[in-house]
Amino acid sequence: MFLGSSRSVREPNLVDRIALAVTAPVQRAAVATIDGTANAWHQYVSLRNVRRENVVLEEENSKLRADVVGLAEARAENERLRRLVHYDEISPGPKVVARVLGINPDPNRLTLRIDRGEGDGVKRGQAVVTADGVVGQVLRATASASDVLVVFDPNCRLGGRIQRTRSRVGVSGAGDEQALKLEYLLRTEDLEEGDLVVTSGTDGVYPPGLVVGRVTGVQRQTSGMFLNAGILPAVNFTRVEEVVVLAPQPAGSFPTRTDGQGRR
Amino acid sequence: MKLALTLVLTLLFLALESVAVKYVGLGVARIDVTVAIVAFLSLRAGLLEGAVASYAVGYLLDLMTGRPTGLYTLLAVVTFLLGRVAGSLVDVRSARSFALFAMAADVTHGLLAWGIGSVSSKQMALSGLSGLPLEVFLTGLASLLLYPLLKRFGLGAERRDPGLLSP
Repeated sequence: MFLGSSRSVREPNLVDRIALAVTAPVQRAAVATIDGTANAWHQYVSLRNVRRENVVLEEENSKLRADVVGLAEARAENERLRRLVHYDEISPGPKVVARVLGINPDPNRLTLRIDRGEGDGVKRGQAVVTADGVVGQVLRATASASDVLVVFDPNCRLGGRIQRTRSRVGVSGAGDEQALKLEYLLRTEDLEEGDLVVTSGTDGVYPPGLVVGRVTGVQRQTSGMFLNAGILPAVNFTRVEEVVVLAPQPAGSFPTRTDGQGRR
Repeated sequence: MKLALTLVLTLLFLALESVAVKYVGLGVARIDVTVAIVAFLSLRAGLLEGAVASYAVGYLLDLMTGRPTGLYTLLAVVTFLLGRVAGSLVDVRSARSFALFAMAADVTHGLLAWGIGSVSSKQMALSGLSGLPLEVFLTGLASLLLYPLLKRFGLGAERRDPGLLSP
């Protein structure tokens, strides 16, 4: 079952493709300019600090500090990429590393623009993740860029599982980057604050085992079938820089009821 | 030619706005640059020219949302037509008055988007209008900067008669 909400999205026509192709380079240029300016500013600040501290060693210090800034950035990037490599175990097959270019202009339709498209092998419906966990799924791909529907969009749904108890749950967006909704878990089920929620792999989009977030705000009503709870997403969406687009999940690769590791 | 220029400017502003929002964070309200452009068109463009340009601007906004439904295309034209009516009552000849006009247009646009969206989407109804005040404020600020730029590019002509409510 395709639990994502991309069912109502029409395929981009020629005019759409041209318009999207025009905006992607502008976004790339703007991102590069802002990042470049920020880096230059940081280096400038570092240089000024060195001058204040030691005039004699000014030149040498400034070079070293600039190198340190560069190395720290490279190390952080390395660390992020290294953590992304483990997705090979979860989802074998070709993956595409992409950079987030921008956030699309309607707060009611939460999508990110990434700098990889059909030309790089990205297709609609592919799962998008970071080292921390699930980001969303590709909603629309054009030649050089794609739009990603983020998991906290109110129309987004995915199949999840409580890691500790193996109970299957539904996860939906609540329109808030700090909270997802946990659905369809029976009131009698064991659930605790802080339980880790991972993807179950039953939705046909996300492979099993990807981190979604941690359970928060468990409320057991006195009536009704299901309990209410939220999920604090594992991904900090305001800091997403690079993402990995996972290979499409082959048909029949998802667990069925007979190979289940637990029960609802 | 003016239509092409309007489209180019719209695409440029939408691209820059999306990057700006990325750096500020998802939680912040968006800046409705397209509403500012439609408001400008409603003040200065002819009926047919402005309606076609507004349609195109709305189409691009709809496209950039990632899930085009036609809502913003419709709303851009409606906002343009309402703006034309409002524009006949007021006199907008400075960046400050244009910013107020664009903010009013943004309130109308936001309410219509929420109202129509709520009919088809329960989530949109629940999401409410909490982000609208900030969105309107940011749009007003952006309009202050956009007004001289749009005027310079000559989108539409200066209206001869002052508005009905002008002193």
